[in-house]
Amino acid sequence: MARKAKSRVINVRLLSMAMTGYFYTFTRLRTAQPMSMIKYDPIVRRRVLFLEQKRKGK
Amino acid sequence: MAAAARQEHIKLALALPARLRTFLARYPHPSILPAGQTPETFKTAYQEDTPNPFLPLRHPVTGRWHEPKYSLRRQAELYKLAREHGVAELLPSTPKSAEERLRKRVEEGLRVKGTGVGQKVKGHKYERQLEAKMEKRRQAMLAMPELIKEWKKVGKRNWTNFPK
Repeated sequence: MARKAKSRVINVRLLSMAMTGYFYTFTRLRTAQPMSMIKYDPIVRRRVLFLEQKRKGK
Repeated sequence: MAAAARQEHIKLALALPARLRTFLARYPHPSILPAGQTPETFKTAYQEDTPNPFLPLRHPVTGRWHEPKYSLRRQAELYKLAREHGVAELLPSTPKSAEERLRKRVEEGLRVKGTGVGQKVKGHKYERQLEAKMEKRRQAMLAMPELIKEWKKVGKRNWTNFPK
C-alpha cells in the first residue's frame, strides 16, 4: 500500500531565544526556508529573536 | 532555725496535692532524702523495683521489655501537676518534661519534614529549579542584542543555527 503523500504545508514552532519556553506557531510551505523573526515575548516583556525549532524524528 | 525551716518545708510538702505527695513518697528525688542519706543507701521498695517508673524497663533475667509503671498519659498529668506547684525538678526524667520536649522539637522541627536543625525543605521541583532557570533566562537576555545583531548581519535566509 502506498504511503500517504506528505502535505505541502507544515506547522512550525518558533521558539523564543530568551529561553522562556514561549513560542509562536506558524504555517509555512514545506519547501520554504526555516523561519526566524523578531517578535514579542510576554514573559520577558521584550521583543526578542524567535527561531524555528528543529522538528523531531525527521 | 533549722527546725523552723524544716517545719516550713513540711508545711509546703503537705500543701501539695495527694497524688504528687504519694508519688514523691514512693520515688523521692535525691535532694529530698532524709539527712545523711544518699540514693545508694536509701531506696524505697518502689525504687528497688523500678529506678525510674517513667521509662520502659528491660527485665534482667528474661530480657523482655516491660512498660513504664506510669503510662505516658499519667506521666503527663503528674508532670503538669508538679509544674503547677513548682516541683517539676523533683520528678524523675520523663519524655514529658519541658527539656525533653524542647530537645525533641529541636531535633525534629515541627514534624514537617525539613524544618529541623540542619534540614532543608525539599519544595516543588519548579521551586528547586527556579534559580537556575532565571539565571539561564538572564544570560539569554544579556546576549540578546548581540544575537540580534548577528542574526541581522547573517540574514534570515542564510541563518543555519536553529534550536532543537
